[in-house]
Amino acid sequence: MTLRLPPQPGEWIDRATPVNFTFEGQAYTGYAGDSVTSALWGAGERVLGRSFKYHRPRGLMSLANHDINVMLEDGTAINMRGDVLPLARGMELRAVNTLGGLKGDKYAVLEWMAPLLPAGFYYKAFHKPKALFPFWENVIRRMAGLGVMNPQAPRGEAIKQHRHCDVLVIGAGPAGLSAALTAAKKGVRVILADENARIGGTLGYDHAGQPTALETLARLQSEVASHPNIELLPAHYAAGWYTDHLVPLVGPSGMIKVRAGKVVVAMGAFEQPAVFRNNDLPGVMLGSASQRLIHRYAVKPFQRAVVLAGNDQAQRVVMDLHQAGVEVVAYVDLRPDADCTVIRQLGIPIYLGNCVQEALGKHAVEGVRISRWDGQGHPDPDTSMTIACDGVAVSVGWAPAAALLYQSGCKMRFDDAAQQFVPERLAPGMFAAGRVNGIYGLEAALEDGERAAREALGLATGVARAAETGSSHPWPIVPHTANKNFLDFDEDLQLKDFETAAQESFDNIELMKRFTTVGMGPSQGKHSNMNAIRVLARLRGEPIPKVGSTTARPFFHPVPLGHLAGRTFHPERRTPMHDWHAAHGATFATVGVWQRPAYYGTDKAKAVEAEVKAVRHAVGMIDVSTLGKFEVHGPQAGELLERFYTGHFVNQRVGTTRYALLLDEAGVMLDDGIVARLSNDCYYVTASTSNAATVYREMTRRLQTWGLEATIVNLTGSYGGLNLAGPHSQSLLKLLTDLDLAALANGGVAEGMVAGVQARVINVRFVAELAYEIHAPAQDIARIWLALEEAGRSVGLKPFGTDTQRLLRLEMGHFIIGQDTDGLTNPLEAGLQWVLANDKPFYLGQRSLKLLAEKPVSKRLVGFMLEAPPATLPDECCLVLRAGKIVGRLTSIAQSPTLGQVIGLAYVASEDAAPGSRITIRHQNGRDVVATVVPTPFIGVAP
Amino acid sequence: MPYQLLKFALSKKHPEPAFFRQPAELKPSYDAVIIGGGGHGLAAAYYLAKEHGLTNVAVLERGYLGGGNTGRNTTIIRSNYLTPEGVAFYDASVKLWENLSQELDLNLFYSTRGHFTLAHTESAMRTMRWRAEVNKQMGVESEVVGPDVIQAAVPELDMSCSGHAPILGALYHKPGSVARHDAVAWGFGRAASEMGVEIFQNTEVTGLDIRNGRIAGVHTSRGTIKTGKVLSAVAGYTPRITKMAGFDTPIVIHPLQACVTEPMKPWLNTILVSGSLHVYVSQSSRGELVMGASLDPYEVHATRSTLDFVEGLSSHILDMFPFLAGIKVVRQWAGMADMTPDFAPVMGKTPVEGLYLDAGWGTWGFKATPISGKTMAHTLATDKPHELIHGFRLDRFRDFELTGEKGAASVGH
Amino acid sequence: MKLLTCPINGPRPLEEFAYGGEIREMPDPQTCSDSAWADYVFHRDGAPGPKREWWYHVPSGTWLVAERDTASDVVSRTYLLGEA
Repeated sequence: MTLRLPPQPGEWIDRATPVNFTFEGQAYTGYAGDSVTSALWGAGERVLGRSFKYHRPRGLMSLANHDINVMLEDGTAINMRGDVLPLARGMELRAVNTLGGLKGDKYAVLEWMAPLLPAGFYYKAFHKPKALFPFWENVIRRMAGLGVMNPQAPRGEAIKQHRHCDVLVIGAGPAGLSAALTAAKKGVRVILADENARIGGTLGYDHAGQPTALETLARLQSEVASHPNIELLPAHYAAGWYTDHLVPLVGPSGMIKVRAGKVVVAMGAFEQPAVFRNNDLPGVMLGSASQRLIHRYAVKPFQRAVVLAGNDQAQRVVMDLHQAGVEVVAYVDLRPDADCTVIRQLGIPIYLGNCVQEALGKHAVEGVRISRWDGQGHPDPDTSMTIACDGVAVSVGWAPAAALLYQSGCKMRFDDAAQQFVPERLAPGMFAAGRVNGIYGLEAALEDGERAAREALGLATGVARAAETGSSHPWPIVPHTANKNFLDFDEDLQLKDFETAAQESFDNIELMKRFTTVGMGPSQGKHSNMNAIRVLARLRGEPIPKVGSTTARPFFHPVPLGHLAGRTFHPERRTPMHDWHAAHGATFATVGVWQRPAYYGTDKAKAVEAEVKAVRHAVGMIDVSTLGKFEVHGPQAGELLERFYTGHFVNQRVGTTRYALLLDEAGVMLDDGIVARLSNDCYYVTASTSNAATVYREMTRRLQTWGLEATIVNLTGSYGGLNLAGPHSQSLLKLLTDLDLAALANGGVAEGMVAGVQARVINVRFVAELAYEIHAPAQDIARIWLALEEAGRSVGLKPFGTDTQRLLRLEMGHFIIGQDTDGLTNPLEAGLQWVLANDKPFYLGQRSLKLLAEKPVSKRLVGFMLEAPPATLPDECCLVLRAGKIVGRLTSIAQSPTLGQVIGLAYVASEDAAPGSRITIRHQNGRDVVATVVPTPFIGVAP
Repeated sequence: MPYQLLKFALSKKHPEPAFFRQPAELKPSYDAVIIGGGGHGLAAAYYLAKEHGLTNVAVLERGYLGGGNTGRNTTIIRSNYLTPEGVAFYDASVKLWENLSQELDLNLFYSTRGHFTLAHTESAMRTMRWRAEVNKQMGVESEVVGPDVIQAAVPELDMSCSGHAPILGALYHKPGSVARHDAVAWGFGRAASEMGVEIFQNTEVTGLDIRNGRIAGVHTSRGTIKTGKVLSAVAGYTPRITKMAGFDTPIVIHPLQACVTEPMKPWLNTILVSGSLHVYVSQSSRGELVMGASLDPYEVHATRSTLDFVEGLSSHILDMFPFLAGIKVVRQWAGMADMTPDFAPVMGKTPVEGLYLDAGWGTWGFKATPISGKTMAHTLATDKPHELIHGFRLDRFRDFELTGEKGAASVGH
Repeated sequence: MKLLTCPINGPRPLEEFAYGGEIREMPDPQTCSDSAWADYVFHRDGAPGPKREWWYHVPSGTWLVAERDTASDVVSRTYLLGEA
């Protein structure tokens, strides 16, 4: 059976392009331009989904882009809403969350258990006996959830774009179109976004039997399309509002992040369902949904309809249905006194002051039972009568689509006349127009859009038109002893669930939400919050404003993770010698943002051993370009360093280097490096790779607060460096430079030509007794590297990586901040009293150390050797125990190829810090390993 | 079918009685006043009544019960901390959690799933080893596991994290659990209320009455009450209370954000955390993925959401699970977290006699709910700090004796 | 994302900035008591309200001062230190 109407003016479907697809294994044909829901409804299907909790059959409800009755999956994507899923050729769809298919969903048995499952039932059961809870939890988890996720689904690449505009207008209905045009004509840049594939909002479907609105739409559409100041973005929904008017617009292929000067919210209102028994039966739908079916998709919603009215909108629905050839068998108005002149002329039976008590039928509407009522939720059973029909169109009220207004901090008030929340005090730069303001009717909407735009531009405006009264019925809710009168379709919540919740103390809107889960489903309360507030207000005997509403958090519609992520970037930094390392088989390690060779080759143990051997017996070379490198210039450069680091620098001789230790104000070790004095007013400072940025940042901040006459130049990226280490390092380097290397002993620094490049040569003994660090501009450093490599071939030069470096420095007894210290380590524990120049008036951390020095130091960092190393060494961070209590941990450990011993650093109890003390390390395998505390450096120490 | 469900259908008395007594008026005085009707405050009230016989107690809540961080956190419970003090405290908490549903006769959905803290770098592996060894020493089930164990537990996980942050191993903590957060507040509230504790919602504390360095009463939006003992259990609002009391603490407020996806059928059966990727994720019993990241980097006393949070989080989640690209985020939210310099809480006595702090809960408060209630109740009733909270005393900062939990607490939910 | 105005570079998204904490006066380390020093190191005025803060514009390496209300997160003005 097809329910397609003859061509409708302005319809969205392309009848020339039929589209074949399957649903639940059955073949269907729709048209290009259809949504999946419209195609299925047009094909005569009624049961399109199952409800979340009771697995009741569901049809379409709102068709307004948040209709969760129809949730689909195709084996790859899940939880696709049928009303926003454009029909495409070859789709193979099924409903989510059924057992054995939609028609024969075996979970439907749950409905019979409904009395056992009131709101919050799961809090009161399944936990006794405790042992059985995992079983019940498993059952519940399997019953819950919607679609079945596919771990093979593709990652895809959604595009992320940025836009700026003066005015962002959200919603391209009459108010939004009018606002956008008004602003654009004043010469400002406007972005106009609408979540629908086509703009126009109500102009496109709310015709009251006469398609005259389409003329207005055509005029506005062409004006908007031709206006150079307007960028039109259909099929993009505003997902949320963020500080300083950042609004992400989510579209089919990606997300556009708009930074707007002003925002006009013209997002309209959600039509709200009425609450009566079986109000979720397929065939019961919102009036606006039936209008969309007719005018967008040329689908006849029903053959014989009952229209349930709570406002004047319902009569427009009646006329559209009538025009489409639907027989309206009854017009049932909750109000006793509506003016029905127009529809009376159509000969439609009118029942004023009546309510729908229940919809009848098993899988689809077969009739309704109506009765007179008092407008307050009390039907008069004596007047009840049954009317046969195959559909119910419900128009009883609206709730504003005000989520973005709430997010921006707008204060809303409840307008008693319109029975709707409307903005009371908008946030700066935010404006509202149309139905979100409680303004209904075409002319009024157009005017309100213009007014909002003029206000946004700071222009004189007319007075806002008063809201049309009575747009929403204050109590579209009918109790029923047999229940199944749903307030929340996402969560299958019935009227009595709210009564239960309130009685059990959850009578605060937020508590009620959390206890019942109202509004927590995929549609986030778009058609349940308003009725929930009405119910709660009545239960508490308070007016709606006192009840308030829940917080509207992002997102307005759910947003795919892929859209939020966009393309993923993982930037990395490479040194000037990177390509050489790669060409020579380096295995790289990520060090902060840098890529550094860890060792050369693939067999780590062999490579490291060979590299160590080269450094200890010949010469080795490591790329240290990643170090932080700064120049400090000026008459007070020394003073700055003196305050920043713990040592003395003012009196440092030109041509020498000193160790630099940086503490925070609490005396905790942050970083170390060296300070080389190049001239009277120029120092060259290094910092560790991972702290380079932080050290520079802190140094520049302190320079400002201390107001010293100095300048800091960050050379981290513009200078490269290498370290040449080992007994042959001096003789090798001599081949390439005229500098007097012997004079650099004990930490000297000199500037001069190395391999034809202007460089700085520093004697640094971090990895070996004899070693030189050579720093040069980044574009030149590789020339030195290559020259050394060539000259060093004959003496056995080997490049080495960071893993080797770690071992070499351990043999030298040096710690690494971050590995051998933690976020609380102070220099007293690390044995660094010798670098604390406490005769200075001030350095960072000094005052705290003074305080700490008066307290006992409970643990100290010492060197150790294992007495009888086990086959598998204890891991770094294994604990040091004393009498069964944790006193410290080992921070570094390695088999030293040079010594043939297992050496390491560890925190031990202060009592055990003296060389010769024996300490106990708890191996990760649970056994104790005994070690002896030894002095450092390890090299040269007899085992 | 559990008989409790049949009761709903058969009993004429359903719906059940109210959870909490909500008296209309405050009494002029109470033996103790608890500021904050979240999990911690209500748990303290419960243990005060149950273990110390103190029932003339008022709990004051400015909003609704559990509306602060109790209802905003991502519900992870674990005890795999780094310091012996932290491990002992959270281990005691886990032991209370394990029987809490039965004790409170409310199903808290306490679900033990196992907790993996993924390590992508050698340095992270060292921290995992450190935690594992401290945990084992303290009798807590934690171990360092290799990629094979992780992959077996979560076959869907991309172990290379899209090629950019390969997983080297993890700290596996078998007792790691999740629970239904709101219910925890309700359960403690109901049980405390049954023993006589009075709970007042929409009641804001506007000032403290302090005389000669001693607490004498509390000023509220509903009038003043006299009391000699006040517990502040107001994570996110602590500095406002301490300002009323006239002293500073190290606590600074940072927002902590989280988000949740639409529901899907269960597939993720454990709790995953990655410090390097700033992600933690678990799947709720409703089928949603509940996700969070690290704290916002600056001080704000508001629960606003940011787009960059959810963008960054999504990117990292997809590094781990590329196939989730089409899964939609339904909702994002934020809580206000009390941050401390050492990532450990601040509990116990204060410079004002009779005023006690249960604060500094950063991102680690939910898991401590029962034990904080129990230890604070002890501290309040006896005026002596419970031994388990010695490491968390406010004085530790003045003494330079910090409890360094940073390695285990940051992004370590 | 929020915007912050760098005195050198104009309004930039907040992700380009690093927070440097409240600007606080250091007590004289020579004369202050141990507890006054410990308070300075660890304690903060954590209550919401207007504060003067350090912010750092990372791409350009600019330290600036922002006057910001930590309750509303509204920045009333930004300037370079010494230009107040």
